[in-house]
Amino acid sequence: MKTFTSRTAGTPQQAVTLAQDARKAGQPVAFIAGGSDLLALVKDRIVEPDVLVSLRGWKDADRIVASGGQTTIGSQVTLDALSRHEAIAAQYPVLAQAAASVATPQIRNVGTLGGNVAQRPWCWYFRNGFPCYKAGGQQCFSASGENQLHAIFGGGPSYIVHPSDTAPALVALDASFRVLGPGGERSIAARDFFVLPRQNATQENVLGPDDVIVSVQLPAALAGARGRYHKVMDREAWTHAVVSAAVVLKMEGDVCRAARVVLGGVAPIPWRLTEVERLLTGQRITEDLAAKAGEASVVGARPLAKNAYKIPLTKGVVRRTILEARG
Amino acid sequence: MSVQDPRSPSIAPLATVGRATPRIDAIERVTGRAKYTNDVQLPGMLYARVLRSPHPHARIRSIDASKARALQGVKAIITRENCQVVWGAGGIAGGQQYNDDVKKITTQRRYAFNNPVRFVGDPVAAVAAESRHLAEQAIRLIAVDYEVLPFVLDPEAALAPDAPKIWPEGNLAVNNKNEPAPQIQKRGDAAAAFAGAAHVFEDRYSTAFVHNAQMEPRSCVAAWEGDKLTVYTPTGGIANCQHDMARDLGIPDEKVRVVSQYMGGNFGNKNQNQDADLIAAVLAKEAGAPVKLELSRKEDFIGVHGRWPTIQHYKIAVDADGTLQAIQLRGFSGMGPYRKNSGAMAGIELYKCPNIDVTVTPVYTNRTVSGNFRGPEFPQGFFGIQSMMDDVAWRMKLDPVEFGLKNMARLFRDETPFTNYTLDECITKGAELFEWKKRWRPTPGSDAGPIKRGAGFTYMMFRSGLGQSNAVVQVDGSGKYTVFVGVTDVGAGAKTTMALIAAEALAVPLSRLTVVWGDTDRCPYSVGESGSRTTIQTGSAVIEAARGLKQQIAEKGMPSGSQTLVASASPNPKVADGKVRQAFGAHFVEVEVDTELGGVRLTKYVAVHDCGRIINPLAATSQILGSAVMGVGMALHENLVYDARSGQPLTAGFYYDRIPTHMDAPDVDVTFVENDDGYGAFGAKSIGEAGIVLSPGAINNAIFNAIGRRLKDLPITRDKILGALA
Amino acid sequence: MSGDESTNPDISRRGFLVGSGTVVAAVAASAIEAPEAAPPPAIAVDPGVPHSTIALTVNGVAQRLDVEDRWTLVEVLRDRLGLTGTKIGCDRGECGACTVLVDDTPVYACSQLAVWMDGRRITTVEGLSSGNTLSPLQQAFVAHDGPQCGFCTSGQIMSATALLKRLPHPAASDVKAALSGNLCRCGNYNRYVEAVVAAGAATGSGGGEQ
Repeated sequence: MKTFTSRTAGTPQQAVTLAQDARKAGQPVAFIAGGSDLLALVKDRIVEPDVLVSLRGWKDADRIVASGGQTTIGSQVTLDALSRHEAIAAQYPVLAQAAASVATPQIRNVGTLGGNVAQRPWCWYFRNGFPCYKAGGQQCFSASGENQLHAIFGGGPSYIVHPSDTAPALVALDASFRVLGPGGERSIAARDFFVLPRQNATQENVLGPDDVIVSVQLPAALAGARGRYHKVMDREAWTHAVVSAAVVLKMEGDVCRAARVVLGGVAPIPWRLTEVERLLTGQRITEDLAAKAGEASVVGARPLAKNAYKIPLTKGVVRRTILEARG
Repeated sequence: MSVQDPRSPSIAPLATVGRATPRIDAIERVTGRAKYTNDVQLPGMLYARVLRSPHPHARIRSIDASKARALQGVKAIITRENCQVVWGAGGIAGGQQYNDDVKKITTQRRYAFNNPVRFVGDPVAAVAAESRHLAEQAIRLIAVDYEVLPFVLDPEAALAPDAPKIWPEGNLAVNNKNEPAPQIQKRGDAAAAFAGAAHVFEDRYSTAFVHNAQMEPRSCVAAWEGDKLTVYTPTGGIANCQHDMARDLGIPDEKVRVVSQYMGGNFGNKNQNQDADLIAAVLAKEAGAPVKLELSRKEDFIGVHGRWPTIQHYKIAVDADGTLQAIQLRGFSGMGPYRKNSGAMAGIELYKCPNIDVTVTPVYTNRTVSGNFRGPEFPQGFFGIQSMMDDVAWRMKLDPVEFGLKNMARLFRDETPFTNYTLDECITKGAELFEWKKRWRPTPGSDAGPIKRGAGFTYMMFRSGLGQSNAVVQVDGSGKYTVFVGVTDVGAGAKTTMALIAAEALAVPLSRLTVVWGDTDRCPYSVGESGSRTTIQTGSAVIEAARGLKQQIAEKGMPSGSQTLVASASPNPKVADGKVRQAFGAHFVEVEVDTELGGVRLTKYVAVHDCGRIINPLAATSQILGSAVMGVGMALHENLVYDARSGQPLTAGFYYDRIPTHMDAPDVDVTFVENDDGYGAFGAKSIGEAGIVLSPGAINNAIFNAIGRRLKDLPITRDKILGALA
Repeated sequence: MSGDESTNPDISRRGFLVGSGTVVAAVAASAIEAPEAAPPPAIAVDPGVPHSTIALTVNGVAQRLDVEDRWTLVEVLRDRLGLTGTKIGCDRGECGACTVLVDDTPVYACSQLAVWMDGRRITTVEGLSSGNTLSPLQQAFVAHDGPQCGFCTSGQIMSATALLKRLPHPAASDVKAALSGNLCRCGNYNRYVEAVVAAGAATGSGGGEQ
């Protein structure tokens, strides 16, 4: 492996400072949380840091705190802890399920919410070292290559799909991120956090090079709403979503008062289906309506040469997840 | 903690053989004490890394290793310029064992380092350094000037007249006489049969390159003491590896010692020596220190061979009542750029058919090298022809089990009797245990709703021939017996099997036996762990040596003090009357296909096998369980996908190749139909490969029965199912 | 249609032995053993690269180690401490062969830097047994033929040990989920599940470690 200096940040501020110091000294720097993902990228020299700043020493960053109806999840909460957290499972089941669907127990035991949201794409061109947009290049090799796992929405010039399971759930919960950077702390709504390649082809979110996610806030409005995360995989464990859906339904009796439908695995960002949400809002969630929602979910989809199967798959996943969420 | 005994006791029981026995080295395996190759540490040992071609086809103009050489701690660098070792077992042998005769005449040599390089992963240089990190740093400092050449990935495309030539002789793979020749098998007059047949069906099937993907990545530790080389390496054939190393390095066999104590899976690509062994040996010589070469998982995927992908065009003639009249196969196998193994396709022999016309063409491509992987030519061919025949049965409105029983071979290639024949019993027993009539849908795809079930089956024969092997058995003055066998326990339990056979033959308890294995300095020649034949062949030698020892004991009495009695045997038994010896079996699978989401779940799996007498029901059952799961991977997941424009593999590694996990493994019910045909060790037949050859076809047939759409290309992934249903 | 299984004629003809027992016995007695004893540390810190001193507990033994910052936990366990029961199958968190317990939690030791282990408690497969006294789980693995090649076994055992601590009597579905991060290419999944379920059933309360 490449040589690097490992630093452990005791606080978010320290992480930012360590990163800035390294950068000032001309040293490439990378933040690392659970380690599973980034370390593999370092081994493959896709990421080449001189300084690795570990966030796992942050005090209290692994806590989940509810206050005033709002729930704050430290960014260093592990996916395992998140998936087993009773209050999260009760109030925000879509997030607990999404966390439980990630990779394997070993990865969930160290992988953090912040790391899961900010992980790099799993496009096989990027991970095999092709000089693509995501690696700072000027090309997307999947566009006319092996694109069976790639985007049907929002693609171009890069056609990666966002790999995170928790990200669609967070968007569906109207979550926001507390981010600390050189300019101080700021809050970014999850729906504004992720960026399409046409806005910025090299990265998947708005984080600056020395920004770290401190925590995630879940608002009270959707607490207790029904939720379901349904993930379709190429094998039954340890793959990213081929297509996934995070559905949140705020029900009043059998009428849906508010709906969130967000897809994973189909776009370079968590893909929110506002038209589908509109279709569900104010309605009784029937089999028919769910099927209509499924049909509506792929309006505007533009499949590539080898991923047209994601169209019927998305319809099916949306239809089923809505019914599963309804219960 | 009782373990279910899956046998149907149809033969006379023996005292030790046939009892479910935990492995004699199980404690080593569950405590971490078992020492695998990479666990070997030698004083002063260096670490090696290989630089591999990033191009699918390129000529190397020059290599500049000066910067790497200047790095402190780098002890040796080898490239084609200073290492022109030919890797015999890695290249052209026309599907036969590379040997000294082939070596003399072959025009297509595969070197440890080749120029031109012919696939992404072809070794270009290697470095030995004081640490693995330093070695890795050093290979990154080696500058290679490549002239990039055109490449071809698809076997049919490679035969086009204007395809890039991978060898001067062209892309049709040559045999061990340097002749570019397909494999041809003919019987009767197929053309006439097709012309006069009531029904003729044609279709195309294909199978993907799947990697052996043992959990243990390839590694090797090489050390020289004077002119003697010791190689610690995971090889299933220590004697083959020893001779290969000696031949390739130009030294006498006795100057090479090969040690393979524990190895993390074999599955067919570890039978001979590997280029890794040669590279480590040359580096160790050059550096004057022991060298450990470790392949990364990705290197293992692209640098060590996997199963050859195939394209199979079938044409089948049946008469009005569904009796087979003719089978034609035009097959193409993608061998990668070196012909390591045969590229054959099995399956035709499963059918009674008067007219056969088979041409199988092994073709060079600029992909990772193909070779033997558990049942080398079987799962591909069986998938193709048994999917095809399932389709013919459906078109003829016949139950596929009835079609099978009607058309299956009852003589080998319709002419030679078997030593015993239980194929019909395996099929009928399996159908009964599986409740075929209940699970099979007469109208495919007829279940209501999006989740549909269906059932499929396949049947098999697999070679169980006899052959030459050796064993030595000794007893010392304390009454301890030692069995010396040249086998490696690749994971199938051979060591325990040899102990059980010896205990039976000697009529002594297992606890008085020690087995010495996996070391050419200590063990006699054995054929090695390939071809599912260790139990049959080396087991027979153990029996004969044990008998010899018993006779000595009868004559001289038990030894005392420091005395030992030793008996050896090198039997080379033959089957009488020219009969053919085969194992038989049938797999029945029920699947649940989610037609909305394209997913497949295996809901019932019944495997019935005649593997002769079962020596150890515990290990034998595990062989079938495990290989069925491996077959699931081949059927539904695995594929080394290439980027067509760059010739780069994209799915090298466990994650992208979607190797089955705990969650993907079906519960498999295993039943043995036991027989003793009087051959092999106490009637044992082959078992190690028997399981995998059946699963891809059975799964595919079940999917057809569930959804009414015939899938024709492995792996059967979600996109293909949804595509077929669209 | 044969593969390369055909007996190598060169070797068959050589006739390795002709029944001279004393020779074989002598070879057996004098053979150089594969190194079995705990090996010397195979890796040493390169003073020219960033390194740190860490204190951790491995299988109950306190260790103070100088490690390069880039060394992974599995490198240190195997090559610095000689605990080679933990295997490297992929070196990137895709197979589970390197699974160890960090403070009782299964993690991929290939994906953790050793420097992060300062102050942590590590358990490897070597820490589950003493001599030939196996944990109930290890006994079940033996009885149910868990290991075929055995290369994934340590990892399966570590994941299962953690499971049994959390859920002493797991159902098959619990075992599959808990071990879903441990690949077995021999495909012996049915056996592993049987073994873990049996170990759970055989123990009164909690079962993994002795």
